[in-house]
Amino acid sequence: MNQAVISCLHANLPAVEAVLKDIELQGITNITCLGDLVGYGPQPNKVIELIRDKEIPTCQGCWDEDVVDGLDACDCSYPSQLAEKRGHFAHQWTTDKLTTENKDYLANLPYSIRKDKCLFVHGSPNSQHEYLLPDMDAFAALERVENARAEILFCGHTHQPYIRELADGSIAVKIKNAVPKDTQEKEIQLPMRRIVNAGSVGEPRHGGTKATYVVYNDVTNEVKIREVEYDIELTCKAIIDAGLPPIFAWRLKNGFEFAEQAEDASHVCER
Amino acid sequence: MNLFKKDLKKTPGNITLFVLGDMIGPEKNCNRLLHRLINPKSNDLQPWCIYGWWEEQILLESGYRGDQRAEALRINKGEEVVKSLTNAVDKSFLDWIAALQFGFVELDCGLIHGSSKDVGENLTLDTPPLTLLDRLTRLQVNRLFTARSKQQFHLELTEGIVNSEVEDLNGNRKKEQKVPQKAVIGIGAGKNYTLYDVGTDNTQFVQAGYKTEKRIKGFGRL
Repeated sequence: MNQAVISCLHANLPAVEAVLKDIELQGITNITCLGDLVGYGPQPNKVIELIRDKEIPTCQGCWDEDVVDGLDACDCSYPSQLAEKRGHFAHQWTTDKLTTENKDYLANLPYSIRKDKCLFVHGSPNSQHEYLLPDMDAFAALERVENARAEILFCGHTHQPYIRELADGSIAVKIKNAVPKDTQEKEIQLPMRRIVNAGSVGEPRHGGTKATYVVYNDVTNEVKIREVEYDIELTCKAIIDAGLPPIFAWRLKNGFEFAEQAEDASHVCER
Repeated sequence: MNLFKKDLKKTPGNITLFVLGDMIGPEKNCNRLLHRLINPKSNDLQPWCIYGWWEEQILLESGYRGDQRAEALRINKGEEVVKSLTNAVDKSFLDWIAALQFGFVELDCGLIHGSSKDVGENLTLDTPPLTLLDRLTRLQVNRLFTARSKQQFHLELTEGIVNSEVEDLNGNRKKEQKVPQKAVIGIGAGKNYTLYDVGTDNTQFVQAGYKTEKRIKGFGRL
């Protein structure tokens, strides 16, 4: 059966509506959301209410957590002080606009959702702030999936959709200085695991302007990345009208990658 | 402490002394030991200390970690142990404890109490190699010295491989990644300690007071 996984909606209502329509047109009813319903975008309440109305199982994203906990976004995620200032402004704006009911909804979202062999998280099983980038250390990536006791790890947070298969792995170990004295050696076979990043519905950072999400078939194990066009002008106008930083509209319209993310893939927020 | 000092004085070569945490605990008064570590005698080695799990508990309980308290300790060991811990350490030492680092990186060696993920994590011979590799990678070191498990071991990750295939909107790419030789070394606890020779990559597991002249040959630099 096909299921859709969406992530990083970022209060971009036209993008969310377009993606949900695309999912509906494929006859898919099983949808999982990996969080970051809010932040950057101009329609936080409407996006939350749409997800709530459709009863889509959702993980808590880093923005959802930060807005609820009254914490500013992790400083170390920002590539520059300007970006940090804009991020903080967007946080405050979003916090001010959100209804109490919607804040409560975000506060009660789970960190992860498990369905059989699949684990759904926002960033990584370790943290909502950890980036699992497509080319990060393969052993570290495999460790994230394996230690989470999953076969397929669905994540978001990077805003870059990808499917990564880690296979045919092994590690040889030798115990030196063992008691009793004989040296012990063994080779451990590593399991095949996959990481699927759903990209971003509301703030794509893959170099294009289309919203992205993934479709997973739990019978064939196939995963497909979907790109969906939406009315970008509508979102951009709403961003400007709301008084949010115009660069948020500029980057959506131009599709330039302007990732406000840590460069170190293994970096975990120490806050 | 005195047994260690006697042992190390007999050990040839230039020695650097690292103390990987848990210098304190609830069982007995820790003030004399802390005073000696902070103010070594003229013929003592200068100890390089990091904080361990027990130091983390007292810092939590004493309000050095914001609103958090040592709840894990309280739940697992009870209120009495929390009280014993705070009574075992004079408050005048808390600022020194709070200033201790999580770990050291010397040459290509990482020295920590638990793991690079968590001060309370036990790394042992039974820890999955993939986890050990991850903890080494997080510190970007080739040798990781750990104390938390109290075990003494020297586990080498001699080789490894994994094939990675990434599909994204730009297409597919494959990559084969190999493991460079790395090791995790459990240094022991209590009377047990470890000598490490950075020149030969050899470890010697020692019990304070039982080290013979013959056994120390070829070792010396920690």
